[in-house]
Amino acid sequence: MSWWVASLQPAVIGAVLVWAAGVKLLSRHAPAAAARSALPRLVGSGRALPVYRGVAVVELVLGAALLLPPALRVEAVAAVAVTAGFLAYLGYARLTVPEASCGCMSARRAPVGVRSFARAAALLLASTAAVVDPAAWLEALAAQPVNAIAVIAAELAMVAALSPECDAYWLLPLRRLRVRLTHPLAGASDEVPLAATVQQLHRSGVYRQIARLLSSDVREHWDEGEWRIVCYAARFRGEDVTAVFAVPRLRDAPGAVRAALVDESTNKTMQAGWLAPRPAHAT
Amino acid sequence: MAGLYGVASWFCCGNAWGPCGTAGHGACGTCNSGSYQHAWPNTSDACFAITRPDSCGEYLNRRTCGFTHYTTNLCNGRRVATQIADCGPQTDLFCGQTVCCGGTNCTWNRLIDFTPAAFSALGSLSSGVLPVLITA
Amino acid sequence: MDISMDRRRLLGAAVLGGTGAFVGATALGSLAPEAAFASGTSEVAPGAPDPDFAEGRVTGIEGTLLIVAGSDGTRWRIRVTNGSSVWKLRPTTFGAVRVGDGLYARGVRLPDGSLAADAVWVNIVNLHVHVASIARNAVHFDHRGKRIVGWVVPGTSAAVYNDTPPIADLSLMKVGSHVQVLGAWIPDTNEIEIATVYAAA
Repeated sequence: MSWWVASLQPAVIGAVLVWAAGVKLLSRHAPAAAARSALPRLVGSGRALPVYRGVAVVELVLGAALLLPPALRVEAVAAVAVTAGFLAYLGYARLTVPEASCGCMSARRAPVGVRSFARAAALLLASTAAVVDPAAWLEALAAQPVNAIAVIAAELAMVAALSPECDAYWLLPLRRLRVRLTHPLAGASDEVPLAATVQQLHRSGVYRQIARLLSSDVREHWDEGEWRIVCYAARFRGEDVTAVFAVPRLRDAPGAVRAALVDESTNKTMQAGWLAPRPAHAT
Repeated sequence: MAGLYGVASWFCCGNAWGPCGTAGHGACGTCNSGSYQHAWPNTSDACFAITRPDSCGEYLNRRTCGFTHYTTNLCNGRRVATQIADCGPQTDLFCGQTVCCGGTNCTWNRLIDFTPAAFSALGSLSSGVLPVLITA
Repeated sequence: MDISMDRRRLLGAAVLGGTGAFVGATALGSLAPEAAFASGTSEVAPGAPDPDFAEGRVTGIEGTLLIVAGSDGTRWRIRVTNGSSVWKLRPTTFGAVRVGDGLYARGVRLPDGSLAADAVWVNIVNLHVHVASIARNAVHFDHRGKRIVGWVVPGTSAAVYNDTPPIADLSLMKVGSHVQVLGAWIPDTNEIEIATVYAAA
């Protein structure tokens, strides 16, 4: 039984190599994939894309050789060398540029992780099996077509499952479905977040009048009825003051924002009020 | 004076604390969070291939490591001069992002990312994004 | 720095009780672009470190002084006063700072070499990430090949979808999408608390 499974490995490895070559040679995102990989660090930014394409040519030639008769041991040996090289490259990428994408099977962003290593190791194992017992996979397919297709399909599915680049086709849709069914973030707070208040404040004309006086980030805030009061430290005419803004809490009305500059050491309000609408200022 | 209106954000670099611990010193090898530096989307062909500002309709000049840009926060008029130290931001992932200040001063598209030192000289780090004018 | 009700009453009355309109430019000085730009230009040379900016991890707290070890080996002493803002996921007070926190601070260098802080941002991070999965009260992000757990904090966490105002509903985030997340790192973990997420709806 084991020799029969081993004889199918060239089909699996060949299909994976031809797929990988096609992505590198034909995808319009290939330049981006090469730039995001560890190749710029390894060979220099100028050579990354040519090397990326060069690897694709090697993959295409070897993949075609494995898929097409005759089945030669030297092809399997070459597959061992190539998959061992991939494993080494992944190790280099992980150590030197951990955020780099693999760029192996897709132009999608996919940092090198445990699954990438597992995939490379699986392909190395499959190549080694093919070296031990090289045989024409087409003959094995003809001998037991249903079983052969099942084994090949199962192995290719395993390669896909170990490929982060393929997650967009199955894993992410499954996760999206789970979110749609379970609503894990439902029941969010009814409170208006401070971020919404600050954004409305920034959109107000009176903020733009006072912004250059501000010396701190938001120091404190509290709610007073329909208003949210937001305070900053500021410097006005050489004095340290508190810039106090009143922002509508429950409606979006930047024009209604009010401001005051208060010297807390003397409890004196230097300026207070609102800003009359100004002519639109085009950018 | 001619310039680019766009959205600015910030990032950390220089192997500092937290998720910045392994950030490295950027594509130029010189980036540090405490220096007046920024990331630019068109520092090289490889950089442009990743950031693709043209897909948002932005056609940015090629500027390489060390080039100085002058950026003004449209909200408060504060201005900084910073040098390119990294490739970024990823403009094509934020096409059309709009930030407004003062009602009608709106800018769109993420064009520049600053170190924390530079961004905090323009506005508050907690703002996350700012509307800016960029000149060379 | 407790905030007394009397003080808040005073400040609230000042801003809500004002009946006049700001007289635009004359009240606050010229806001002509040239004047604003000229007065607001930083003097630090491009590419140079900013002497009025500190970055590092808190190694000690002495009264209102933060002792901070910079990632470049600099030892900072940061003075936090009543005029300083402190951000730790949200605006807070000096008492929220802990040894081990990371921070950025901007202020004014004093003659003794310490930094009088105008603003301190504790554990603040601004990350470009991919949404890997969404769980109960948490979003799992992929950041530069590493997994980061983003905790949703009711009453604080907000999301900006396209260009809408921030809202508290983070459920419109899509698994597999690219987002920007501003938050507070939980020291010595791969976790953050989410302040604001910028996403496409």
